[in-house]
Amino acid sequence: MEIKIRGLKKHYFSEGKIIKALDKVDLDIEANKIFTLLGPSGCGKTTLLRCIVGLETPDEGEIQIGDTIVWSKEKAIYVPTEKRQLGMVFQTYAIWPHMDVFNNVAYPLQNMKMPKKEIAKRVAKTLKFVQLEGFEKRPSTRLSGGQQQRVALARALVAEPKVILFDEPLSNLDAKLREETRKELKMFLGELGITAVYVTHDRVEALALSDTIGVMNAGNIVEIGSPKKIYFDADHQFVADFIGRANLVPATVVSQGADSTIVDTSMGQITCYKRSFNREDELVLCLRPEFIAFDKTEKEYVNQIPGTIGQMTFVGEVYETEVLVGKQIIMTKLDPETKYKVGD
Amino acid sequence: MESRNNKLTYSLIVIVSLLTVAPVIMLIIGSFSNNLHTFGNFTLNKYVSVYTDPMLFSILGNTAFFVLGAAAFATILALFLAYLNNRTDIPFKFLFKVLSVMPMMIPHVLFGVSWALLLNPSNGILNMWLVKLLNLSKAPFNIYTIWGMIVVEGLLDLPVAYLIISPAMGSFDASLEESSRVFKSGPIKTLFKITLPILRPAILASFILCIVRGLASFSVPSVLGMPGRIYVLSTYIYRVVTMSLIADYGKAAAIGMSILLISVGLIYIYRYYTRYSDKFVTVSSRGFKPTVIELRKAKAPLFIVLLIISFVLILLPVLVLLYTSLIPYIMVPGKQAFASMSLQNWRTVIKDPLSLRSLKNSLFLGVGGATVGSFLSVLVAYVIVKVKTKASGFLESISFLSFSFPGIVIGIGFMWYFVRTPLYATIWALFFSYLATYLPYGIRPMTSAFIQIHGSLEESSLVSGASFGTTMRRIVIPLLVPGIVSSWVLLATMFFRELSVSVVLSRPGTEVLAVQILRFSEDGQWGRLSALGIIMIVISTVMVLGVNAIGNRYKPGEVREKRRPKTIATNRLD
Repeated sequence: MEIKIRGLKKHYFSEGKIIKALDKVDLDIEANKIFTLLGPSGCGKTTLLRCIVGLETPDEGEIQIGDTIVWSKEKAIYVPTEKRQLGMVFQTYAIWPHMDVFNNVAYPLQNMKMPKKEIAKRVAKTLKFVQLEGFEKRPSTRLSGGQQQRVALARALVAEPKVILFDEPLSNLDAKLREETRKELKMFLGELGITAVYVTHDRVEALALSDTIGVMNAGNIVEIGSPKKIYFDADHQFVADFIGRANLVPATVVSQGADSTIVDTSMGQITCYKRSFNREDELVLCLRPEFIAFDKTEKEYVNQIPGTIGQMTFVGEVYETEVLVGKQIIMTKLDPETKYKVGD
Repeated sequence: MESRNNKLTYSLIVIVSLLTVAPVIMLIIGSFSNNLHTFGNFTLNKYVSVYTDPMLFSILGNTAFFVLGAAAFATILALFLAYLNNRTDIPFKFLFKVLSVMPMMIPHVLFGVSWALLLNPSNGILNMWLVKLLNLSKAPFNIYTIWGMIVVEGLLDLPVAYLIISPAMGSFDASLEESSRVFKSGPIKTLFKITLPILRPAILASFILCIVRGLASFSVPSVLGMPGRIYVLSTYIYRVVTMSLIADYGKAAAIGMSILLISVGLIYIYRYYTRYSDKFVTVSSRGFKPTVIELRKAKAPLFIVLLIISFVLILLPVLVLLYTSLIPYIMVPGKQAFASMSLQNWRTVIKDPLSLRSLKNSLFLGVGGATVGSFLSVLVAYVIVKVKTKASGFLESISFLSFSFPGIVIGIGFMWYFVRTPLYATIWALFFSYLATYLPYGIRPMTSAFIQIHGSLEESSLVSGASFGTTMRRIVIPLLVPGIVSSWVLLATMFFRELSVSVVLSRPGTEVLAVQILRFSEDGQWGRLSALGIIMIVISTVMVLGVNAIGNRYKPGEVREKRRPKTIATNRLD
C-alpha cells in the first residue's frame, strides 16, 4: 500500500519557542518498497512516523494509507491507531514484560478475535520466519537484545499488515549485533515485499536497507532518492554532507563535456559526473574521501591534483588522512598498510 | 485517542471535584456563615472571634513547633535507615521492609495510646517502674508534652519518609557516586557532596509531606496533647465542635481556613522545589547494584540502633497493648500483675454493641473504600501521567487538593456539605469523605507505577489493533499490579483506622473503630481500649499480608528486576 502525505504540519511549544517538528511535509511513499526517513535527531522523522501510525495528531494536513484517508484536518477524519492495521517496531521494542513470547506475538491476532488454533499456527509461522522457533514459552524478560528485536518484528508482522513501520529499531543494539540484525532485516523485508517505513539517523543503515531514502532536516524533507542518488548525486549540500564523509569545495562550472561536467576549484580543474549546470554557475563540489587515490609516481590520471599529507589518524580499517592542496584541506582515506607518511 | 482521553479526563474532573473541591467550597462558605442552619447568610463574626482570640497565637506556636520537629525527626531518621539498608552491609535487611509497612498496621491512635500507657506522669508503666527502681520522688518522663508529641509523631511519620527516600536511594545510579570516588572523595564526602544533593528532591518531598501530615495529625495531639492541655490547630477545631455546648461549625471552618492556607502554601513551595525533578531521574533501565559500603567496626553499634528502632516501632506498642488488655488496671509488670490477669476486658469488648458496630463499619469502609478508591486512583493516575493536557494538569491539582488539608478540616467541610444531602449521618458520608481525603495516597503509588511503564508498551498495543479498553486490561493493569496492591493496602489500612475525618462525621450508628478507641481513651478505659486495639491490629495485619501475597503472585515487576541481570549477561554472550 502506498502512503500519501499532504501538507502535514506539527508544531510544538516548548519554553516559549515554537519547534517545527513537521513543516508542511508532502511525501509519497511507494507501495511495497522500503522507504527510509533519514535525518539528524530532532529533524521530525520520528514525529512523521508517529503521525502515520496515529500516535500523534498533526496540526494540519492529510495522511492517506492505501485508499483510506486516516487523518485529515479539513475533512475531519481521524482513524484511531488501533484501526489503522499497521505493524510497528519500536525503538525500545516495547516487548511486554509480563507476557511470554507467544502472547507477545499473538496479541495482534487475539485482538482480531481469531480462533485459537489459527493464532497458534500463525504465531508459529511468524516465529519461524524470524528464526525464533520454539521460543513460544520463553518469558519475554529472558531474551537477549537481538531476540527482543526479533520478537518485536514478529509481533509487527504476524497480522500481515500492509505497511510496517520501524522507529530506529537497531539503535539499542551494540555495533556488531546491529550489523547482523541489519542484514537479517534486509532479508526479511526483501522476502515480504510489503511497504516499510524506516526511521533512522544512521546513514549506513539507510543506505544498506532502503529502496528510497528521504532525507529530513528541521521539519522538512530535503531530498528523496535512491541510496545511490543520495550518496553520489545529491542535489543539496546538506544531504551530501549528511550521508557520508565529504570534502565540500566551492567550484565554478567551466564547461560541459559529453558525459562529464568540468568545474574549476581552488585546487585546479576537476572533471565530474555529468550534471546539467550552466557555465559560470557557482556550486559546491563534494569529494568523497573513499574515492581519492594516491600515487607518488609521475603517471597521468584524470583529476590529478598535487598535495602534501598533513595528518594521518589510524582508525583500524584505514588511515584517515588530511591532504593539503594549497590552502585547502582534503579528507582522504589510506590503506592501513600504506607506505605513505606525513609530509609526502 | 485524544478525544477518548479528553472524555475520560473531563468525567474524572467532575467526579474528583465533587469529592475534593465541593467540601472546600462548602468550608469557605461555612466559614462566613453563623452555623449549619444559617448557611449562606454572610458574616465575618467567626473570623473576628477566631483571629482576635489571644489563645490562637500559642496554638499556632505549638503547631509550628510540633509539625517542624516531627518532620525533621522523621526525615533524618528515614535518611539514616535508607542509607543503611541500600548502601551498607548491615545484617538482617528484612527488618527495613517490616519497619516500612508495620506502622500501617498499627493505627496511630493506638501507637499514641501505647506511649501514654508507658510514659504518662501519673501511672505510666515505664515511669512507675523507674520510680521504683531508682527511688525517684516523681515520674522521670512526661509524654504529655510537646517533645513527647514530636517524638511519637516523628516515629509515626518515619515509614512515610522512609518509603519516599529509600527507593530514591536504592535506584540511584551508583556510577554517579563511583565517579566522585574516582575523583578522590571519600565515602563521607561523597555522601554529602553527591548523594544527598542528588537526593534533595526526595528529602524535600519527605520533609514537606511529613509537615503536611503533622498538620493533619489528630491522633497524637488528641491522645498525648489534650491531656496536657497542649492544643494544636487540629485539636483546637475538635474542641470547638465537640467540647462546647453548641458545636460551632462556623468557627471550626474559620480555623480550618488558616490550616488550609498554610497547607496550600506548603504544597506550592513543594512544587516549586521539585519542578525540575526530571533532572534528577537517575533510575536507569539497566539492572545494576549500587556499591555496598562495608561498615566494619560501625556494624555492631549501628545494628543495635536499628534493633532499638524496630523494637520501639513494632513490638513495644503491641506488647504494651496486649499487656494492658489482660490486667484490670494499670500496674507495673510483676507478680501481682500476672496474678490478676484475665480475659475480662476481651469479654466486655466482644459483648459491647458499640465496639462491634464500629468494627463492622470500619471493615466495610476499609475493604469497600479501598476497592473503589484504588479503581479511581488507576484512572486518575493514568490521566495524570499519560495524558499531558491542561485538563489533566487541572485534574492533578484537584486530586492532590485534599493532600494539603487535614482530615478534620475536610470533615468540617463535608459536614457543611452532607448536612444538606440525604447522605448525612449515613455510612456513605464517611465513605465519600474518606475517598476524598485519602485519594492522593491512592494515586501516588499508581502514578509512580505508570511512570515506570514506558509509553511504547501501550502504543505498541494500540498499533497491534487493541482498543483502549483491551490495552488497559491486558497491558497496563497487569503491569500496574504492584502499584494497585500498594495503593489498595495503603487506602484500606488508612480507612480501617481513620480518625480525624470520622471524629467530625461519625454519628450514632456510624461509629468507627478509631473513634471508639478515642472514646475509651477519654474515659480512661485502658483495658477495653487495648483489647479492641489488638483486634484492630490483627485485622490490619491480615489484610496487608493477604493482599501482598495475592499481589506477589501477579507481580511482573519482581520477575523483571530479578531476571534483568541475566538478560544483560546473555546480551554480552551475543
